[in-house]
Amino acid sequence: METILVIGSGPIVIGQAAEFDYAGTQACKALREEGYRVALINSNPATIMTDRETADVVYIEPLNVDFCERVIARERPDGLLPTLGGQTGLNLATQLANGGVLDKYGVRLLGTPLSAIQQAEDREQFRRLMREIKEPVPESWIIESPDQLEAILDTVPYPCIIRPAYTLGGTGGGIAEDRETLWETGLKGLQLSMRSQIMIERSLLGWKEVEYEVMRDSKGNCITICNMENFDPMGVHTGDSIVVAPSQTLSDIEYHMLRTASLKIIRALGIEGGCNVQLAVNPNGFDYYVIEVNPRVSRSSALASKATGYPIARVSAKIAVGRTLDEIENQVTGTTKACFEPALDYCVVKIPRWPFDKFPNADRSLFTQMKATGEVMAIDRSFEAALMKAVRGLEIRQKDLKHPKYESMDDDGLRRAIAKPTDERLWAVAEGLRRGWGVEEVNRLSKVDKWFLQKISHLVGIERRLVEAGKLRGEGEDLSSLIAEAFLIGYPSASIRRLLGVESDDSPFGQVAKAEIERQKIMPVFKMVDTCAGEFESQTPYFYGTFETEDDALELRKAT
Amino acid sequence: MVLGSGPIRIGQGIEFDYSCVHGVWALQELGYRAVIVNNNPETVSTDFDTGDGLYFEPLTLDDVLDIVAHENPIGVVVQFGGQTAINLAQGLADAGVPVLGTSPEAIARAEDRDLFDRMLVELGIPKPAGRAVRSFAEAETVTQEIGYPVLVRPSYVLGGRAMEIVYDHDRLEEFYSEAEDANPGQPVLVDKYLLGQEAEVDVISDGETTLIPGIMEHIERAGVHSGDSMAVYPPVSLSGAVQAEIVEASCRIARALGVKGLMNIQFVVVDERPYVLEVNPRASRTVPYLSKITDVPMVQLAVGAMMGRSLADAGYESGLWGGGALGKPGTIAIEPGSGPVSLQAPRFYAVKAPVFSFQKLTKVEPSLGPEMKSTGEILGIDRAYETALYKALVASGISFKPSGFVVLTVNDRDKHAAVSIAKELVAKGYLIASTRGTHDTLEAAHIRSTRVLKIEEGSPNLLDLIIAGEVALMINTPGEELREEVEAARIRRVCIEMEIACVTSIDTAAALAHALDVFEHPEKATCLPYHEYLR
Repeated sequence: METILVIGSGPIVIGQAAEFDYAGTQACKALREEGYRVALINSNPATIMTDRETADVVYIEPLNVDFCERVIARERPDGLLPTLGGQTGLNLATQLANGGVLDKYGVRLLGTPLSAIQQAEDREQFRRLMREIKEPVPESWIIESPDQLEAILDTVPYPCIIRPAYTLGGTGGGIAEDRETLWETGLKGLQLSMRSQIMIERSLLGWKEVEYEVMRDSKGNCITICNMENFDPMGVHTGDSIVVAPSQTLSDIEYHMLRTASLKIIRALGIEGGCNVQLAVNPNGFDYYVIEVNPRVSRSSALASKATGYPIARVSAKIAVGRTLDEIENQVTGTTKACFEPALDYCVVKIPRWPFDKFPNADRSLFTQMKATGEVMAIDRSFEAALMKAVRGLEIRQKDLKHPKYESMDDDGLRRAIAKPTDERLWAVAEGLRRGWGVEEVNRLSKVDKWFLQKISHLVGIERRLVEAGKLRGEGEDLSSLIAEAFLIGYPSASIRRLLGVESDDSPFGQVAKAEIERQKIMPVFKMVDTCAGEFESQTPYFYGTFETEDDALELRKAT
Repeated sequence: MVLGSGPIRIGQGIEFDYSCVHGVWALQELGYRAVIVNNNPETVSTDFDTGDGLYFEPLTLDDVLDIVAHENPIGVVVQFGGQTAINLAQGLADAGVPVLGTSPEAIARAEDRDLFDRMLVELGIPKPAGRAVRSFAEAETVTQEIGYPVLVRPSYVLGGRAMEIVYDHDRLEEFYSEAEDANPGQPVLVDKYLLGQEAEVDVISDGETTLIPGIMEHIERAGVHSGDSMAVYPPVSLSGAVQAEIVEASCRIARALGVKGLMNIQFVVVDERPYVLEVNPRASRTVPYLSKITDVPMVQLAVGAMMGRSLADAGYESGLWGGGALGKPGTIAIEPGSGPVSLQAPRFYAVKAPVFSFQKLTKVEPSLGPEMKSTGEILGIDRAYETALYKALVASGISFKPSGFVVLTVNDRDKHAAVSIAKELVAKGYLIASTRGTHDTLEAAHIRSTRVLKIEEGSPNLLDLIIAGEVALMINTPGEELREEVEAARIRRVCIEMEIACVTSIDTAAALAHALDVFEHPEKATCLPYHEYLR
């Protein structure tokens, strides 16, 4: 085999952002390392993957069957790698296969077989498989026509979730509280689905949502890259949810139960490459449901790659051309193989970035249809510090957990804001805790796990003490130990100054406080993201800052 | 140390990550150790093997200063990470950190309206009348001096946020306060709104030599945000004189500011005169496009200029690059008397088109205006303008359904242009449907059109026609009258929900009409590796 065709994901749209440039670039590099000639088609030239240095031959042409066929006719590739260009790439590859184009030109699909992709993406086939391997799936109905939709309006348990098949980022989905909404949203979903197919599903609102990134090679070796837990419980698209890696609120039994399930699923499907498994976990018991599987590289796998240092797209591309996990080198350590499961000795928080600052009249509520355009990730040794870093990295007006809109809201309004997922719910939750409503009450309203709420309570507690100390002008608790505590939990000096109210205060107290902030300010050390929590020697210059003593970055620089 | 551009948002997309990654590589090629600071997990810049070091940290001044203290770099590059990075320039300089390339003082001079205006006046380069104001009363005074329509916008914000064209005094206060709220404490800019042809350039300068890789001509007229406009390289309608003046003005601005690296300048051309609309002293979202289609390694040259290498030593002279589509590598002289055709006979045309995500954002009004709404962009490149347009339209998701009406409902200013578009459509055998005003105009021009009722006129109406699936394409341009706009906005929104292509600028519609022939015969478009178009 000589030439491999890679299909990119096209323009940036909500649900398909830069992660596929990252994946595609890695894949092209990996394939060329293996000695293949790479031909690429993508309509988006603002990508590294469309550089002439990345692929051997680059077509900047529209991503449709017509142009793909012309590229195939011209390049005569031996193989096509369909799982790295997002849903766009996968849909196009499916159309090319089903339309006979691949057979006509003798192009072989690489990696996960098309039948496995269809089995993962077609709800009915997927459910049948899950029943065979005894993995629980929520009761649901597959609907392919308005007549079928009408027939089930009275049998479905409300609230229920509507998910169209074969669309980007859950487009056209929604939650229906009553039969009228189900009828309207269902009709729209039928239209948007490439297959005219939607699924109506029992609602698991309020359950924990957990994802596992798993990887399998053609010989059946399987590993878990990492798992991730959504801060927002079930009901919010994972692309619109605050996500933490690794999971923080699962017991060891739950963690392994879900890991075993994920590996069993990837084996049963026969995936060759990376795959994402989404599960719902009962917060009050040990039962769970399998929600869905993405049989390809995704936004979640980009996040998992950055969160662990494990290059999922690169390894997936190598697996697609027949390499196995025990052969592929772990580039990060340089000493281990790709079959080692990454270990994390830090906490990662992702927060989505939404476009509502530009669209003040848009509907800000979050549900199964993704609305975020991008995301930030933050790494630190505690959830609190990582959360604070992620918040201030969003480049929105809020630099910490205070938000004037919620501070001035009456109690009833705030209760509704905590109960209803929006882009600003984090700040509403913090305000509820600030008002002393307690973790129990805020959990009852939001269904956000109590562990997360306790951590936010901790942050809000420090904040309250800083504000109090500012008001008492140094008369209350010891200012210097309070400032030290604030630094350690992740408040940057700008926030401490703001909370003490001394930003532009040149009174004696203001000067003392600012001098104390400067004196107490700890310089962060920079720790390494090495995929193995320090178990093996590693020389990767990938760092995050934290307030500790041992500095990996300095040591690496000395060593090299 | 290269600062990244943070999370992807409207106005600051993947284009900036492209520049950051190339910035890192260019520094490495020059023998430097290049580290990157960014917090976006989706990108190539945060791949652990892109730079010599990756700091996965927020891009706030405090966090960046901590990393600077730790790494002690010889300098920080703020030009590639969009507004996120450039906004840190002054703070870094104040903390004594060397900022590489264009100085923070020059950045401030380009971004501070009063300073910039003064510089343009000194250089004798025209710009639309207007200035920065700090109160509504002052805004009223300026408006009285320059007359309506005016463009009202906040200063120092991305992507045209809270930017509006104001046609009368009634709405001035509303839009003034919106602009004020968008960036509190900063002045609001009030300028004469000039309806003309927009054009933009990205330039590379070392302070002495200034290279303009190419001029991009916008397809939509001024008033549509540059990020939401289709744009074509090389220009198809700008005269030689105008192009020469754009090149001349760009070189002088770069020299006056002392640009070392990249800069983007936007112009509006009225009566053969280019007026400067805006200058961004950094890499813009068009850098990756122009780099690819002109074959000028823009980021690499910019990094060289930042690190003290002259463009002259790299073999470049001041002026317009004649390579790329123009086929004459080297700086070319433009004959002021020449029209666009004699200037070029280009090897290809490259058309950039925006892509929107309105499907996902319920209740968002999809018509185009000064506020940017697109989330991404694509490029159509081909030997002929028509086929390049076709590719851009198809790749951005605009298509005709196989059967049904092309609906035209346009505002009064667009009625004239609508007639010629309708003529082309009818000649190709399309059926036209239109609402009363447009229908009367078409009838007067002897163009057959089926009249449909507006929603307020009863039923069956336009909405019913759309829902019945009988609309192949919607051309609907926004008007000024609020009552009519409410209905028009609803129509556009329904089109989005029904996945019917909805064109909201008459210029986009004209481009579409221009490419109709290729829609019928897609085989007229070629399909080649992009570097072969450059040959």
